[in-house]
Amino acid sequence: MDETVAEYIRRTVLKIPRDEIKVMLQKWGFLSEAQLQTLNFHQMKDNISQEVVQLCEENSADIKQAAVLDIIYNHIYHNKRMWSVYQMRKTGEELDYFDLTDFKKKFKRRLQSALKNVTITFKEYEDNAIWIRVAWGTPHRKPNQYKPSYVVYHSQTPYVFISASVLKSNLPLLCQALIVASNYHDIREMELRSHSLNSLKDIVFKRYSQNFQTYRPKPVQGKNVEPESVDLRIVQENRSEKERIQRVNREVFGDGPQPILEFAHYRLETMFKSDPKMDVLDKKEPFRCLVKFSSPHLLESLKSLAPAGMADAPLSPLLTCIPQKARNYFRIREKKGLFPESFVSP
Amino acid sequence: GVLAQLAVLEGRARRDAVERERRERREERLALLECRARELRLRRERLRQQEPRVGDAGTPSDPAHPAPRAILEWRIRSLRALLQVFHLTGISGKLSKRSVCFTFSTAYENSRLDSFHLELLLRPQVRIQRHSIPAFIPLEPLSREFLLTDLRRFLALLSQHLNGYVGRRFQAEQLQERFSHRLQGAPQRNSLCNLLTFSYSVTGNSRSFPLRARLLYRDPLRSLPTEATVSCSPDAPAALAATAAEHSELFRRLALHKAFQT
Repeated sequence: MDETVAEYIRRTVLKIPRDEIKVMLQKWGFLSEAQLQTLNFHQMKDNISQEVVQLCEENSADIKQAAVLDIIYNHIYHNKRMWSVYQMRKTGEELDYFDLTDFKKKFKRRLQSALKNVTITFKEYEDNAIWIRVAWGTPHRKPNQYKPSYVVYHSQTPYVFISASVLKSNLPLLCQALIVASNYHDIREMELRSHSLNSLKDIVFKRYSQNFQTYRPKPVQGKNVEPESVDLRIVQENRSEKERIQRVNREVFGDGPQPILEFAHYRLETMFKSDPKMDVLDKKEPFRCLVKFSSPHLLESLKSLAPAGMADAPLSPLLTCIPQKARNYFRIREKKGLFPESFVSP
Repeated sequence: GVLAQLAVLEGRARRDAVERERRERREERLALLECRARELRLRRERLRQQEPRVGDAGTPSDPAHPAPRAILEWRIRSLRALLQVFHLTGISGKLSKRSVCFTFSTAYENSRLDSFHLELLLRPQVRIQRHSIPAFIPLEPLSREFLLTDLRRFLALLSQHLNGYVGRRFQAEQLQERFSHRLQGAPQRNSLCNLLTFSYSVTGNSRSFPLRARLLYRDPLRSLPTEATVSCSPDAPAALAATAAEHSELFRRLALHKAFQT
């Protein structure tokens, strides 16, 4: 077995938390159950990884199998990477009979014809997600296995989720291969990024909870029956206002959990509005600034702003339109016309 | 002792206070309601006086150019009629001031499956506000062609697409759940479930000669394949080839899990 492969497997196993190593090796399926039995998972990770490498040596692992293990790790710990969403467009409207083998062949062919030194690995999951791992090399160097790009694609959808490596120069090539393989015409990057891949999927596949009005009447939840033990001397001021805020919040955010986003960027290119007499700037120039909201769970925190009394309900549509517009990067410019209001650029 | 006495007195005082509060609260509420009832009665009188006036002042209508309000009312009426008709076909809707929200409840073979939603804005013209239609259903081409011209057809087609998809998906899931012992490896499908390939064995002996099936569903509205190819490896016995042809016919006619049952 190649030394580089051995080292790569060793380092990949070291990344895995000790309690998860056995499960992940089982998912990998490269080592037999008997071989896994011989491993002692209660020793130091260093030793575990050495033993795993030895077993892989017995089975003559090559880089292809090692890459599969890497995909499995990144599939479970996808939150450690930053994902961007890309949208593809096609001109024709014929129905697509997506054939997985066909897709893989076309993708590999396109990439390998442009760049000989690449490692391409595929893995399909139950929810129709196709994971592609690409390790990039140059015409004179073998692929760098430690900085691969990951692509997640669901067939017959126009959305691709890419976690590019640091080597951004290979991105156009990757995009080319994707549109050729999936029969699309062009591809553009959407203004949507997050660490949580599943939340990105929820947003573009419209799987997050939206509050739709349905035909069947929902059970009325307005009246709260006061429990007998409540001391009636305690009065809730603003009860109707609190209920209004809850109602408005539910209409905007829906009932279920929100997709996890970590930030929202608003790049302002609006005019500084001031008293004309107090001319702060000599010439009228747009006041450039960047407003960034960040949070471990941005949408949940926005949802709790109004009930916590920190903001008025309803919140600004600039904040609440994030899942529906499927973007968390905005550019706000001055609206050209009579009324100097701001509008969001597409 | 003294403390016990004090505790009893305290308890009694608290109970009295709570009772008093309750009584005062009831009286307050009563007064409020009486006031409101008076208000509403006055309002009703006012409205009754206004009514005959509204009937008289009809806008001078020009049949060639109906007032925009009349058009809107006609639109809303026809939408309501549409909603009532479609409720029976698994499409239901809820009309609100500015929009209408359609719910597509899909079903296959007496099982109720997923529900999808589509919210349409009505003015200034009909357009999609938001939805929960999966990304692989051709919503955009359908809406481009039919949304403004033939709303009824748009809804019917969309419903058929969704029902076709869930029907195919249901069969594929049933196959994996109930007949996994006859499959070799996992079946390969795509998001729309319109191309399905899998390897399986006929029950009994031929474990070494699996059959490979490729089902293509060219019609997105139907849940039965338009093409079913069953093949076996070239060195398989001739009898197996005949079975393959039979099976191919079977898959075209019957739903997948039913075909496996026979």
